[in-house]
Amino acid sequence: MLLAVIRRQGIDIPALCHHEAIEPTGNCRLCTVEITRENWGGWKKYVTSCLYPVEEGLIVNTHSEPVMQIRRTILDLQLANCPNAELIQELAAEYGIHETSYEKQPEGDNCIMCYACTRICEVLGCSAISPVNRGHDKVISGPFGEAPPDCIGCLACAQICPTDVIPWSDKDGVRTIWDKKFDLVACKKCGKTIITREFADFLIERRKLPREYFNICDDCKRQELADKMGGIISQAEEAAL
Amino acid sequence: MKFRFEVIPSLCIGCRTCELACAFTHSRDKKPGRSRIYPIAYADDKYVPVVCLQCDDAACAKSCMFDAIHRNEETGAMEIDQERCVKCMACVAACPYGCALVDDIHDEIVKCDLCEGTPACVQFCPTKALVYRRL
Repeated sequence: MLLAVIRRQGIDIPALCHHEAIEPTGNCRLCTVEITRENWGGWKKYVTSCLYPVEEGLIVNTHSEPVMQIRRTILDLQLANCPNAELIQELAAEYGIHETSYEKQPEGDNCIMCYACTRICEVLGCSAISPVNRGHDKVISGPFGEAPPDCIGCLACAQICPTDVIPWSDKDGVRTIWDKKFDLVACKKCGKTIITREFADFLIERRKLPREYFNICDDCKRQELADKMGGIISQAEEAAL
Repeated sequence: MKFRFEVIPSLCIGCRTCELACAFTHSRDKKPGRSRIYPIAYADDKYVPVVCLQCDDAACAKSCMFDAIHRNEETGAMEIDQERCVKCMACVAACPYGCALVDDIHDEIVKCDLCEGTPACVQFCPTKALVYRRL
């Protein structure tokens, strides 16, 4: 797609909903660029570069005045939608907007509706969360606004979220996300926790990984490997004597 | 695979020069990265340098639901594509040797990438306990 080529050329254009692991959908529309061709007789078109295929003879302008105006409008609206999102504030300031010209949403939750979280959940194969309701009531949530039954607590949605709005916590071996509680797999030797029991079971089932891989943590696994190799060396040394 | 990374534990003196070389080679923004190699003691003053074994049927790549871990056919290393990685920690939990690591400094999941064919740890190892050679 056009965005990949633009970034490879070292040209910095903003894109909030773009991630290599998910299909582009052009939700944030910040990567809009101006395209034209020599035979278009001066006509121009504005497209989201994350969705537009690269073609021979395409003339792309990433920072023309109309493009900048489009980005300023989007950022102005986003700033009204989620006034507390740091990323949006920074980007808007970069484009010269320090205060939104629209009415601020009083109970904004910083979600920019880019659907990166729902799309990554789809890639994972769970599709636990989705957009619910319409218009300005739209939120990302589990079915019927309840805790999503298919969620396995992998944190992919929280990690991919550009504005970091999905709340989660790891406390006393329990992970809480989307109002759902998950038991974390505790290392049998030191008690360190990495992923949830549900996510481990998911990997064992879908990717046919042996269950014993998930028994102990990475620190203890390295020590075990050293001990195992050390044992072999000691045996060889004894045999040599 | 054209190359092989060899570890000879009997030569390792646990000086941790490899750790320094690794951390500084993977530094970015003037901050050293997390070392991908660790000399771990198995007995008094006896060490094994523990580093990714670049398994044939790698558990890290199998566990990655986002297809972010691939083998670099040139060097034989399993490499994490940071653009695709979403830091779900599946590989950290799944690696049977604990060699997929969390780099807190750069907020990334990292593993040995054989420095794109010229491993820094091999060049700095004073006792030649680490060898990288063409097959």
